[in-house]
Amino acid sequence: MENIISIKDVTYTYPESKVSAINKLSLDIHRNEWLSIVGKNGSGKSTLAKLIDGLIESESGRIIVDGQEVNEQNIWNIRSKIGIVFQNPDHQFVGATVEDDVAFGLENQGMPRDEMVKQVDEALAMVDMQEYKTRDPQSLSGGQKQRVAIAGVLATKPSIIIMDESTSMLDPNGRRTVLNLVKQLRKQQDMTIISITHDIEETELSERIVVLKSGEVVQEADPKSIYNMGSELIKYGLEEPFSNQVASLLRDELKLPKGYLNEEELIQNIWKLSSKM
Amino acid sequence: MNKLILGRYLPGDSIIYRLDPRGKFLITFYFIGIVFLANNVVSYGFLLLFVLFSVYISKINLGFFIKGLRPMLWLILFTVLLQLFFTPSNDPIWHWGIFTLSTDGMRIASYIFIRFVLIIFISTLLTLTTTPIEISDSIESILKPLKVIKFPVTQVALMLSIALRFVPLLIDETTKIMDAQRARGVDFGEGGLMHRIKSFVPILIPLFVSSFSIAYDLAIAMESRGYKDGEGRSKYRVLSWSRRDNIALAVMILITIILLFIRSY
Amino acid sequence: MEIIFKNVTHSYEANSPLEGLGLDDVSLTIHDKKFTAIVGKTGSGKSTLVRHINALLKPTSGSIMVGDREITSETNNKNLKPLRKNVGMVFQFPESQLFEDTVEKDIMFGPMNFGMSESDAKESARKMIKLVGLEEDYLDKSPFDLSGGQMRRVAIAGVLASNPETIILDEPTAGLDPVGRKEIMDLFKNLQEQGRTVILITHNMDDVANYAEEMVVIHDAKVVASGKPKDIFNDNKLLKNDILTLPRSAVFAQKLAQREFSFPQLPITISELTTEIKRQVHGD
Repeated sequence: MENIISIKDVTYTYPESKVSAINKLSLDIHRNEWLSIVGKNGSGKSTLAKLIDGLIESESGRIIVDGQEVNEQNIWNIRSKIGIVFQNPDHQFVGATVEDDVAFGLENQGMPRDEMVKQVDEALAMVDMQEYKTRDPQSLSGGQKQRVAIAGVLATKPSIIIMDESTSMLDPNGRRTVLNLVKQLRKQQDMTIISITHDIEETELSERIVVLKSGEVVQEADPKSIYNMGSELIKYGLEEPFSNQVASLLRDELKLPKGYLNEEELIQNIWKLSSKM
Repeated sequence: MNKLILGRYLPGDSIIYRLDPRGKFLITFYFIGIVFLANNVVSYGFLLLFVLFSVYISKINLGFFIKGLRPMLWLILFTVLLQLFFTPSNDPIWHWGIFTLSTDGMRIASYIFIRFVLIIFISTLLTLTTTPIEISDSIESILKPLKVIKFPVTQVALMLSIALRFVPLLIDETTKIMDAQRARGVDFGEGGLMHRIKSFVPILIPLFVSSFSIAYDLAIAMESRGYKDGEGRSKYRVLSWSRRDNIALAVMILITIILLFIRSY
Repeated sequence: MEIIFKNVTHSYEANSPLEGLGLDDVSLTIHDKKFTAIVGKTGSGKSTLVRHINALLKPTSGSIMVGDREITSETNNKNLKPLRKNVGMVFQFPESQLFEDTVEKDIMFGPMNFGMSESDAKESARKMIKLVGLEEDYLDKSPFDLSGGQMRRVAIAGVLASNPETIILDEPTAGLDPVGRKEIMDLFKNLQEQGRTVILITHNMDDVANYAEEMVVIHDAKVVASGKPKDIFNDNKLLKNDILTLPRSAVFAQKLAQREFSFPQLPITISELTTEIKRQVHGD
């Protein structure tokens, strides 16, 4: 598999901090995969996203994005390939209205206005926010603001999208619409998605999960194997998937197959047990 | 604070709303200039009629304009009373110590009052019908010639529009922090002056901290979206000058001519 | 303290074109020493409701009784300290209220405003920092050197330090990781079991099911339901109209119900769910 991002022995320490936020971390991210990066608050997830985009500079090690090393010289090129949706919907809304905000990245590229108008409309259609085009951010909900942020990222047509805890400040409704949107985009076009989260249920659709602890990769596997760790996940500040919690409470009396069962599989198995009786 | 900054723009639609903000901006300042040309009852009456007509076609309730007078009330009252009682006159109606009341004084005082009304109404009309971002766009457009002397017009305009964008957010943040500290037993506006000043420390420090964190987050977000230094950017927002804007300017010239005529009449 | 809302209406920006109703004729009793959850969509009026309990907001009409203290539109801003001492409030993202140069001073800030002596406040700070799960040596640190999660705990300690009888929590765990969330929720449950009234605003229905004894549902500035969580989560009218979402256990049960299982009442916690599954599989 071709790697779109390759991180090798990268270390980063925040100024005035004694411990490294990222510690000799190495990680390969494949082209067009959906990768989840999980870990508790302060495990280094968001720092990693900033390093990949060259928003902060690593002390040692190197990061290659789409064949180019992240350094002073390539930085603008690399940033044009990566779109990041950040955590706080209010702190990333630059424009005075929805359409202005979506256009911001295009303005930075110096795109002619006619083309911009087309791209802004297209991007807003993708996130289903056309009817809010002229609204100001104050009149939008958190989930709507994040959809605008996603449109702003999509407008520049990046090959990598990083969702940096983009749903953690949203209410359940907002979270659901944003997650559905990402799923849908994933189906529609080729792109690499890196989603950073501490909500294990958001990782179900990704192809691979990387677990961070104290700036190091401690686990790296497909979702099923990660979920199989069961209550061990708590060690990394994560919650066990709900179906796992239910299964382990049932296992003392019911004979269920070993290993992780997703909700559908668990229901199927419980049903089988009950109809045999 | 809320009412001062936010209560300004009133969403709506009428010919005044649709005028180009640059035109509205210039007309407002131009009008404030020609108010000082008025010198008699007819000329003041003429300008007042014009302003009331503009208010009428803006389709905005007159009440909003009268509210606009309120913050200036003390200044207006002070100036009017000053003119009313301190205009020197050879033919006073009433005289007591340093106070003099005369027909001249009464006339000048009423002119001054009308002048205030004219200026406040016309600028209220601008702010009620023009969004802050349109005003910031107009300022950018008007300052454009300064680029010749290397004045960073586009950067300043972006700064201005971002500042406008974050005012409501910071107001929310301030309210929230004030509530949180009141819940922890802070009483604003109680006790002596020193005590009052001290009671703002628990507001100001958190507000600084969160402003910096917003600024940091925003800078990171802007950079990640490819913002360098304002050069080589294209512009999405465009202002469009149309025929009605030309007509509006023509009306202003006409008004000036009529005014000059009435003045010398 | 029992808290009683009587026909409380609150309008924002009264007499202006932007006028809107924050609360619409709300009558409600929040019982003494209970754990009450308040749920509703964003903007439904939850935060407006609780801000009336310590008179941060005053009703436009109606009244609120907090113990024997009455709050009406006429209530004077003076002399609210005894009320606010007794009603502690943890705001959303409370870490943004920290301002002192040490954690200790910040925790002492509330108690000393409410007239506690310096030595008592120090003592209280020492107790509270441990209560929220941080070591005592954090007291000398600057709150701004801490991580977001630790700042949250310090802010909570600062509210608890005045020893309020009633604790209001506005989404206290938003943005925390699951382990941190559980620790904080367990802390509040403990405080309630020691004899305090806890009022929790939340979007997390699992927290409601696991911790709350009473539940209030707000929709469009009105209280549309109040009572025991189990009864309310079984109220079909609320669910059908999309006013309320269910805890994960209830959703799971609904799915089982499509496969020969039957739940006269939906289970709302995971232990209720698994007990019921076992019972039905064993066929008794």
